[in-house]
Amino acid sequence: MINTETITLSDYIVSCEQNIVSDMGDEKVMLSIRNGNYYNLGTTGGRIWDFLGEEISVKKIVEQLLSEYDVEQKECEHHVISFLEHMRKEGLVLVTQENKNNILT
Amino acid sequence: QNQVKKAWQQPALEVLN
Repeated sequence: MINTETITLSDYIVSCEQNIVSDMGDEKVMLSIRNGNYYNLGTTGGRIWDFLGEEISVKKIVEQLLSEYDVEQKECEHHVISFLEHMRKEGLVLVTQENKNNILT
Repeated sequence: QNQVKKAWQQPALEVLN
């Protein structure tokens, strides 16, 4: 598991289980049971969260977002990695360097 | 037809409390 290293496109992400998530309009809000904090993931962040139910590579997340949103690849990569690092800092996701599920992603 | 893509908004995690 990675704790402090910068997240890369080849890393795998999965959501932690101790979160209660609810849709609020187009946005997603979340309560972390672990730390008691409430979060607003916003629209795009909520879409990213949708992918994290199962372990998925950052590269795959970016590819999916590029197919749905009008954004340049480099900008998307930078924004997604920054968002995921904030999520990791808050203990909302786990980051690994290997795909434990052996799914081709 | 090309798929109409949504406008991109930078994802941000807002701590509400």
